[in-house]
Amino acid sequence: MSPTVLAAQGEGFTPPGKEDFWWPILGSDTSPWTLTRPSVMALLSVALIAWFLLAATRRRAMVPGRLQFVGEGVYGFVRESIARDLIGSREFLKFMPLLFTQFMLIAVNNLFGIIPFVQYPTMSRFGFPVALAAITYITFHAVGFARKGFVGYFKDLVPPGLPSWIVPFIFVLEFVDKFITRPLTLSLRLFANMFAGHLLLLVFILGAEHLLLTGGPGLKVAGVLSGVLAIVMTFFEALVEILQAYIFTLLTALYIGGALAEEH
Amino acid sequence: MVTPAPQRPSDDGPEGPLEEARAWGIVSYLLAGLLTFGGLGLLLDHWLGTSWLVLVGLLAGAALAFYLIWFRYGTR
Repeated sequence: MSPTVLAAQGEGFTPPGKEDFWWPILGSDTSPWTLTRPSVMALLSVALIAWFLLAATRRRAMVPGRLQFVGEGVYGFVRESIARDLIGSREFLKFMPLLFTQFMLIAVNNLFGIIPFVQYPTMSRFGFPVALAAITYITFHAVGFARKGFVGYFKDLVPPGLPSWIVPFIFVLEFVDKFITRPLTLSLRLFANMFAGHLLLLVFILGAEHLLLTGGPGLKVAGVLSGVLAIVMTFFEALVEILQAYIFTLLTALYIGGALAEEH
Repeated sequence: MVTPAPQRPSDDGPEGPLEEARAWGIVSYLLAGLLTFGGLGLLLDHWLGTSWLVLVGLLAGAALAFYLIWFRYGTR
């Protein structure tokens, strides 16, 4: 029985579920196309990031203002702690636009999950992480093929120095890793973290609301506890959201670095 | 006079972003091993009418993935 039916029968609390992630603004699930809340938010995030970066770089000064300081801080972090270390100081610069864009886009869209009145992480709709992972996937393979040639790239999948009887097995493993599970884990990790995090917040917030509004005195105490936990979990989510943006960018850089590196 | 410490390539450090990124990437290897060889076992089971090859495949896949991870990251 669907939660809506249960609610209509007066059973009370409707637990949050995957329906809470489907937010059509224009159109519905039967129309040929829909404009959904996450797609509007993704567009909004692009506008926000563009505004922030333009504002942060408009008046560049030796002694940076607050916006410039934040902007340079984030850029410097992606550049020095992700790109340079993982791709190498010789070639990392040309990948900075991609890595910085990924980090900013994912971080802002994730943080939408806890920003009041937005409160929805864009990446909890699977299509968004898939698109981002596809960009990473195409980039690191293209870079690898361009660097090593078609045959060379496949030869280079297997690390040198293995006993020869195990090489075919390792080749299969490396092939599946690079062509199937890497994009899978990359997109699923981001999606699942955002989906689960949002669901967790919904449970505590909706639970608190329901207990406080309809519960007896004992349940009202539980409702207050649930509300407190919702606040605690919100701070925890902030951490997870930034961390996931970091991991995604980190892995993109690792994969590009790996595609460029010579194994022998 | 103090001799400068030999410049260490950045990817040799015991910690730092490279190690961290590899740790996150390991999941992908394990999954690849389990999916590929577990799947192979499942297919063989299906064809041969047995039921234990999927387990052998999963174990072999996991072992192979662990071996590769050790070989790639543990030995140098």
